[in-house]
Amino acid sequence: MKKLVSLFLCLALLLSCAAFASAEEDVITLDVIICQYGPNTQDWFLGTGMDGSSFVEKFEAANPGIKLNLEVVSWNDVYTVVSTRISDHNAPDILNIDVFADYANEGLLLPVSDWCPEDLYADFFPSFIEQSRIGDTVWAVPDLASARALYYNVDILNEVGVEVPTTWAELEDVAQQIIDFYDGEIYPWGLDMTTDEGQAAFAYYTWGNGGGFVDAEGNWALNSDENVEAIEFAIGLVNKGYTNPSPATQTRYDLQDMFGAGKLAMVIGPNSIPSYMAQKGYTGINYATAGIPANAGKTSSSVGVMDRVMAFRDDSYPDQAKRNEAIGKFAKFFYDPANYVGWVSMEDFLPAVNSAVAELVAQNPSFEAWLNVLDSAQFYPTTKAEWADVKIGSINAEQQALIGGNVRELLDALQAQITGK
Amino acid sequence: MDAIHYRRWWTPYLWLLPSVLLMLIFVVFPIGIVFRLSFSEISRAGVVGGFVGLDNFIAAVREAAFPTVMWNTLIWVVSVVGLSTLIGFVVALVLNSEFHGRKLARSIVVFPWATSLVVQASIWNYIIKAEYGNLNSLLLNTGLISHAVNWRSSYQVEFIWECGVGIFVTIPFVAFTVLAGLQSIDGAYYEAATVDGAGFWKKLRHVTLPLVRPSLTISTVLNIIYVFNSFPIIYTITKGAPAHKTDTMVTYLYMLAFYEQQKGPATAMSMIGFILLCVVAGLYMAATMRKEAQ
Repeated sequence: MKKLVSLFLCLALLLSCAAFASAEEDVITLDVIICQYGPNTQDWFLGTGMDGSSFVEKFEAANPGIKLNLEVVSWNDVYTVVSTRISDHNAPDILNIDVFADYANEGLLLPVSDWCPEDLYADFFPSFIEQSRIGDTVWAVPDLASARALYYNVDILNEVGVEVPTTWAELEDVAQQIIDFYDGEIYPWGLDMTTDEGQAAFAYYTWGNGGGFVDAEGNWALNSDENVEAIEFAIGLVNKGYTNPSPATQTRYDLQDMFGAGKLAMVIGPNSIPSYMAQKGYTGINYATAGIPANAGKTSSSVGVMDRVMAFRDDSYPDQAKRNEAIGKFAKFFYDPANYVGWVSMEDFLPAVNSAVAELVAQNPSFEAWLNVLDSAQFYPTTKAEWADVKIGSINAEQQALIGGNVRELLDALQAQITGK
Repeated sequence: MDAIHYRRWWTPYLWLLPSVLLMLIFVVFPIGIVFRLSFSEISRAGVVGGFVGLDNFIAAVREAAFPTVMWNTLIWVVSVVGLSTLIGFVVALVLNSEFHGRKLARSIVVFPWATSLVVQASIWNYIIKAEYGNLNSLLLNTGLISHAVNWRSSYQVEFIWECGVGIFVTIPFVAFTVLAGLQSIDGAYYEAATVDGAGFWKKLRHVTLPLVRPSLTISTVLNIIYVFNSFPIIYTITKGAPAHKTDTMVTYLYMLAFYEQQKGPATAMSMIGFILLCVVAGLYMAATMRKEAQ
């Protein structure tokens, strides 16, 4: 009798497991990696930062049958985390990061058309979508953007009696006057040529001199005359003592701290600087924004920075259509203005979809001016496969130039390395 | 009786098993993986391809920064290990002598060692900051300087600072290893030497040094390994900038792997470092052991 009961219990256990498994089969779990943009990202996605709840909880409640295994990863670690997971054949389903060309060229990504609902696709700013197109295929969608402008300490400039510079010549003149007035106690100009974001400095100066990473045809033109002149100008600012003392090791955040402490008169920074200053308690600084100075006769250009959301292939998943649909639902929920507006404004970024603009502008009128800046901004050539090498190479060239390297030779070498010529 | 004998036979191995397993899982196995990867093609995105022979090693050695990095590594290891051993030895001698407040002095000396390296490096980074660093504040407030000094005026100076921080945090380790050795020396040797008319220097040379040599050997071999593999100081202060001029092998291979995403050459570089370390530490141990045997 005992044996019979045991057998019955075992069968019941097996059947319940089977039932559980079949119920589990209807549930799809998406692995999602989100980059940590600021102190609130983690709380918004996983804590209580989204009206007392989290993005994951709200999404799962609104989309039964889809579970999110969402991880917030710092920018310092995300490239390593992703490449390690790819090496282990365990790529995430959805990834939020800045680069995409390497993943696309390796055949690891799903085209956006496979998973993005049409109405959502139409909502993205078209110029942003173009930044993720290689050939005829769009591989990622933008999640947010930021734009750069010149921030200047109004009190310092007023005290010295100078106007905010618009050209390079004016910049040198203003810098010299600040040095003379404060006897070198205040750095006139902030320069970041670190491995953190030195490529931005390359963009600020080369774009302000009619040069840039690529020529009009989109081919690499790293050693153009304009670029050589621009980088020589930037290095000249350091050599003349107009900048922070260690541009190779002082990051944008160091510069923002110096600016907040009143030690730095002018710095190029993102639209999120006001909230950075508020968070850090730099309340006594009277500052304003202006266009980034350009060489005489050249157009000033803002630098737009954009991050992306992309979906990885998983050929082992049995029902691809269902997986694509689940990824689409994630995107739809994320970009829904009811959720997205909170996300973008929380970390002080600029939106990537039209449907969020009206509400964001209503919340903060300064957004409109920044959206206009973004409209005229240039972006890094991230669609080109060599971009990752160009980014590192341009920073390396800057740092070599800082220690006395010849800019022409350095940029010639970089161009040769990238183009193989 | 047989059962007891049997148990005795495997008991030591049983006790060793956890540490052997730990070593296998966390040391030997990863070394094996890196060894395999160093002969494989690894794409920037992280896709591991096929066998490429010595390509990764050739690429690593041909990198423009390679000679600078090797030279820096040599300076870093020799200066930090050499000077910290010298100063640590002197500190140990002082701490071994009788004086008022010796216990307090011993606990103060151990502080730099008891603090995390990242914390130490970050603190030094703040101390030498030109804008609002403590060193400048101190010197300005005491009137020793009238203008803030840029303590990081060139990458050579920055590298010297890094070596200095390395020496500062390594001294306690040497001092305490040597101190342990000094305390085990029988006082009778010194008494005998005094009777024979030996002064301080003679006692140091003919009694202290030979008897403390085993402790010095241990501290030097461990130091070579620790200092060669030390990452936080350089990464926190300069991140190897500008253009790898302040990188040592470990920080360089980290940047190669996780910043430049050149995982193939980076794994090759870490194999080169591993072999180099085995050879140097092995040679040093062999040389000192031979001397001891003599």
